[in-house]
Amino acid sequence: MRYDHITDLIGNTPLLRLDPAVHGLPRVQLYAKLEFFNPFGSVKDRVAWGMLRDDLAGIVAGGRTLIEASSGNTAKALRILGALHGVGLRAVTNRIKVTEVRELLQLFGTEIEELPGLSECPDPTTPNDVYSVIEATMARSPGTYQHLSQYTNEKNIEAHYHGTGREIHEDLARDGIGGVDYLIGGLGTTGSTRGTATYLRKHNPELRTIAVVSERSDFVPGIRSETELWDVGLFRPDFYDRIVPVTAARAVDATVELATGHGVLAGPTSGAAYAAAREVLAAETAGDGPPVVAVFIVCDRLEPYLSYLRKRRPDLFGRTAARVPAPTAAELAAVPVLSPAQLADLDATARPTIVDTRGAMAYRIGHVPGAVNIRDDQLDDMFAQGIPFSRSRPLVFVCPVGDASTRFAALARRAGFDAMGLAGGVVAWRDAGRPLESAPAADLRG
Amino acid sequence: MTAPPALPAKWHPLVRGFLDTPGAAQRAVHRFGSPVHLLFPQVFADNLHRLQRVLDAQVRRYRICYAHKANRSRALLRTGEYAGIAVDAASPQELAAAVGAGFTADRIEVTGPKGESFLRQLVGTGVTINVDNLWELDRIADLARGHTRVPVLLRVSGFPAAGVSRFGVPLAEVDAALAVLAEQRPWLAFRGFSFHLDSGELGERVAAVQECLALVERACARDLSPSVLDIGGGFRQVFTADADRFDGYVAALRESLRGRGEPMAWGGNTFGFHLDDTGVRGTPVFHKYANTVPATGMLADLLAAPLDAHGGRTVAQVVAENLLDVWLEPGKALVDHAGITVARVEFVKRAADGSVLVHVDLSRDTVTPADQEVMVDPVVLPGPSGAGSGGAPVGVFFAGRLCLERDLITNHKVWLPGCPRSGDLVVFPNTAAYHMDLSAASASMHPLPPKLAVLHRDGGYRVCRDIEYDPVAAVAESDRAVPGAGGRL
Ligand SMILES: Cc1ncc(COP(=O)(O)O)c(C=O)c1O
Repeated sequence: MRYDHITDLIGNTPLLRLDPAVHGLPRVQLYAKLEFFNPFGSVKDRVAWGMLRDDLAGIVAGGRTLIEASSGNTAKALRILGALHGVGLRAVTNRIKVTEVRELLQLFGTEIEELPGLSECPDPTTPNDVYSVIEATMARSPGTYQHLSQYTNEKNIEAHYHGTGREIHEDLARDGIGGVDYLIGGLGTTGSTRGTATYLRKHNPELRTIAVVSERSDFVPGIRSETELWDVGLFRPDFYDRIVPVTAARAVDATVELATGHGVLAGPTSGAAYAAAREVLAAETAGDGPPVVAVFIVCDRLEPYLSYLRKRRPDLFGRTAARVPAPTAAELAAVPVLSPAQLADLDATARPTIVDTRGAMAYRIGHVPGAVNIRDDQLDDMFAQGIPFSRSRPLVFVCPVGDASTRFAALARRAGFDAMGLAGGVVAWRDAGRPLESAPAADLRG
Repeated sequence: MTAPPALPAKWHPLVRGFLDTPGAAQRAVHRFGSPVHLLFPQVFADNLHRLQRVLDAQVRRYRICYAHKANRSRALLRTGEYAGIAVDAASPQELAAAVGAGFTADRIEVTGPKGESFLRQLVGTGVTINVDNLWELDRIADLARGHTRVPVLLRVSGFPAAGVSRFGVPLAEVDAALAVLAEQRPWLAFRGFSFHLDSGELGERVAAVQECLALVERACARDLSPSVLDIGGGFRQVFTADADRFDGYVAALRESLRGRGEPMAWGGNTFGFHLDDTGVRGTPVFHKYANTVPATGMLADLLAAPLDAHGGRTVAQVVAENLLDVWLEPGKALVDHAGITVARVEFVKRAADGSVLVHVDLSRDTVTPADQEVMVDPVVLPGPSGAGSGGAPVGVFFAGRLCLERDLITNHKVWLPGCPRSGDLVVFPNTAAYHMDLSAASASMHPLPPKLAVLHRDGGYRVCRDIEYDPVAAVAESDRAVPGAGGRL
């Protein structure tokens, strides 16, 4: 299909029916509204465009900069939409917790203002919540900024009423499905669930709206905990039939299930919605009864959350695959260890390969002269493939205090290397008064 | 009928056991008068063990410096000394107290901004000086020149995206400080970098550690060899026993500020919330009472946090392989739940707006640090004359004894199971961390309440004057006697 402008691609996202054999809810037709088909990748493209469209000409004419409370998808969409017209964005946020999200915003030239953490002993006269900071910033330079205010702007809701909700209804109606029984969605600004559910309720007043929030003091990017929602102007607690908290751990598991079970590569908020949908629907559709139609909102794509996922589930990221079995106690006991003096002698006579297993900074500051630096985790990865050193020379591992080096030496000996460890590690070397060689950091040279 | 809004306090089982022992609090007040502060050194020891367990699991070499400023108590200070930890003293008086409690110079660190006379007093003693600014650094070198070498840490501040701090050397001036340290090497023994953050934000601490590691490398490039990374204090307390009820109370309070439901705030207090046509917004001044992450969790998370600048290696790993000792300066985390304050109800009256005011014989500044609202419910015990307070639940404000309109101990309404009577005792929970001492003044010539130490021993409680407490007698017993959280006495 051809288009004339990127904004023409906002909305009209697909509605995907999920296989009941995979989601395991026999009475439920479960649909995922795939908002990541929006051009900048998220459900917020609708909101950003909805809030900006009518005011854009005025903002451009006035030379104003957008200012918004967002650390994620809304900021990304506003930044791109603004950039297309030469309009800047200042994003005021509490600390952005997802690295890739921050980097994307930086890549596009967003001005990011991250507020410091809350003082334990705060002064009530110097508030540092995002809204007060935005108000103060605007008051200081009148006419400079335009605050679209996604957390209070009714256009946020309207974008979903006329867009998301209507599209879901029309797509299902074409299939002869007259009404939706359940709508499940995460609450950030609350605009998507409110707008969508309001439209769907027109056609089925019995619609049950299930709001998904993060567990108290847990963090799922894009949604808030219930108490955090008290600060959201659009939030109406009575609007929802249920508010379901989901832990980050469950959201991550469900995110992976969505990808591998349904081919839906979505971010953790969508995982949280999928987890909540399954929990609620399993309980409410147990036993016999009429079929049920349920829709949940898939907000954005998976890829920007890799670091978030890795932090919570490092076990899912490699390193578990082909690891050599750990050395036995006998193998460890058989490792010859060198005193600092013995290592110095060996170095003078036998040209050993000396491997420092510590991180780069420690190596730069000071290492046994001539040692090469291969970090312990990199060595583990390498050993799984084979040991990349010359067999014709003795091999000496050096670590901070002598434990990791013994382990690597044992593994290398198993593979037939003449491998040893430095007893007591770099600490012993230093304490014996031996010289350390340093390698200045790249950014310190010159 | 639904239960009225409440802010249930978390109690250490040892403190709970004391309050549950009939007559125990009343006897203490009878003997020593009201109001009194009660300290529980065994709870301090328990907190210390928990922090040590976290550190033992992740770092090889560390030092805990108890931030004495959290509480003046000698009993707690002695408990730290006897346990073998170090101390962080922030004034000549705290230093004298630490020395008096048995800390030797090698186990004392002096923090905070220091004036000329304090510096003169310090140079030559062998205590480690945690330097706040360049003037201090120069003065120390001048005072030491020719006769002594002073161990120093350099406190740095102004980390990216952190709040501006009035303490420490700004990052931009660190090179100047390193130059002084290198030039004055014969008189200044540089031990390492230090920071202290006032917020509980993990990301901010991780960023500060990462900055300090970069400084370590810069120091090494000047042939200085730092061996310490001091991560300061700021490890949080958990006040609430029930986060959901806490949230419920705050929800009700916000509604009341919008004029819905029963009024819950004294006078025009808004607790840092902003009221406007969109509602009640912002972060309340008392947000720390909503915290549910204990100091041990914060510390474990910090040590296990991956560092971007180090290929994802954790703080604990990078510190270990750079042969750095971790120092920390916990104040409130060590004294968490180790103290309570007991006052007596003088009388109950009604204000013109119908509010019920329970007047007690202490003032706000004796149980609140820096005038912060304390968001945990006090407990009322029947007075020495016995007989419980009865009747229906009643919402009250606690009022202090000063001739100040603002001397309300609670500016938020507290629901009690019944209306207190003259002579009842009011127990304010968890007051050991700054609440007792930070702001307490002797206005109207009221003396400061005495401090007592409570020892749990042989199934009972013994109370003595704080200065008379002897951990040597207590400790052998305490390993057996201190129940874990949730344990029963
Ligand atoms: C330098 C320094 N270290 C440690 C502390 C103790 O902090 P906390 O009681 O929050 O652990 C403080 C508190 O003011 C401080 O300023």
